[in-house]
Amino acid sequence: MQAQEAAVHSMKSIDDFVSRFNSDLKLCASLIVERGGRHYLLEEKMKELLRSEFYYAGTYLGKVRRKRFFPSFAFLAMIGKGRSNKITVSRRTEWLFVCGRDIFKQGILKVEGSGKRGDYTLVLNQDDECLGFGKIVDDLFEGKHERKLAVENISDIGDFLRRER
Amino acid sequence: MQLPRKLRNTRWNSASDFYDSNRSPLPLMSNREFFLHRYEEMGWEFRDIRLKQSIRVHTSNAREKHVIQRLESRGVALERIPFLENGYWVQQSRFSVGATVEYLLGFYSIQEAAAQIPATLFNEPRNGVILDACAAPGMKTVQLADLMNNTGIIVALDARRRRLRALSNQLERCRVRNTIVYWKDARKASQLDLKFGCILLDVPCSGNFLLEENWFEKRSLRDIERNVRLQRQILTEASISLKDDGEIIYSTCSLEPEENEFNIDWAVKNLNLKVENIDCYGREAPTEVFGKQLDESIRDCVRIWPEQTQGFFICKLKKRLCIL
Repeated sequence: MQAQEAAVHSMKSIDDFVSRFNSDLKLCASLIVERGGRHYLLEEKMKELLRSEFYYAGTYLGKVRRKRFFPSFAFLAMIGKGRSNKITVSRRTEWLFVCGRDIFKQGILKVEGSGKRGDYTLVLNQDDECLGFGKIVDDLFEGKHERKLAVENISDIGDFLRRER
Repeated sequence: MQLPRKLRNTRWNSASDFYDSNRSPLPLMSNREFFLHRYEEMGWEFRDIRLKQSIRVHTSNAREKHVIQRLESRGVALERIPFLENGYWVQQSRFSVGATVEYLLGFYSIQEAAAQIPATLFNEPRNGVILDACAAPGMKTVQLADLMNNTGIIVALDARRRRLRALSNQLERCRVRNTIVYWKDARKASQLDLKFGCILLDVPCSGNFLLEENWFEKRSLRDIERNVRLQRQILTEASISLKDDGEIIYSTCSLEPEENEFNIDWAVKNLNLKVENIDCYGREAPTEVFGKQLDESIRDCVRIWPEQTQGFFICKLKKRLCIL
């Protein structure tokens, strides 16, 4: 029961986040559990076995800190499976992005979705693997080859290395 | 290695023969000599070994061939490990294989070759409920999830909260979906009130000289005895949480017989468990150690001396069922 209530509260912040990608992803609220601000998506079978004092469970979706949602990379990949804002970047840009850098227009090979300033976009490599996400700071459909900042890095998979420090 | 004459013909029966309550080990030997002599008594002669780095591909996240091609295109030279399914030795790399996009996407993990063996020894891990009793930092948990193709459920425990962070980072990086983690001591596993078909006991141990600098100087028999106590408590608790037809895989990266053969001998005699034969890389475990005769079934355990891999000990245990 408690887990259900937490899931309802979680849904709003998660839905708000997903909407910034113009994504149509819908999660089943009854399968989301929350502990210490961290949200997890469970399968039905796991939920039956879960005890309240768990530390981590199922698929980690992300955490809410000061009303802001910080997604996990598994969750970003879930958003990327459906319709959403996405950019595909070159090999060189891929590595720079994973190292925490922002993305310039010349490093973008393909744009899907809105590409509008202020929206969020997923960043994919040429193998369609999600490397993280960023905020669009300049319209992506204009001046494609300019040396101009296009996407501000918010989160990238290089975070796994930075966490270990 | 030449031992002091006084010790050359000494017959040691058990760990407690090596020291009295005030001294450990005997002052005539350095720690290094002392431990190497024990290994020699068990039939292994020390040689300097350089441990090769190895990786394991997560086939539930990516196609093995694709991952290998991508790493090789970045200049990483790999060699397939003959006794493992998805394991490769890193022969050469200009950069850390722990800092590639493929690693960060969870396509592979860095895991020592011998440490990749235990999780593969369960008969039918898929769809079941598995207990990984001493799970952090999570390499074997991730491997189990991969072998289960994220079906079934893994219940992962660890007693130290700080290590749970490393475990959850591994689970997140490798996109594991079927694991529940609890901050819990393996000695209290039965409090979960669950019965498990498979239990992985990669118990805390003394480690070995290949894993830690100055290992010989840091370890004493007293540390080993402390570990033995803990390991036996964990084994006892696991036997309570095991289903009647379930199986326990017990492993350590210790070379000390007290933490391995002696512990299993004790479990067979006290916990209503029996040793099952396993087919994997390594040697048959000895049934006579330091003059002590152990249960014959101990020969079905596997001892891996440091050669191509680090040192390891693995065994499979099942419940002895009483037929009325």
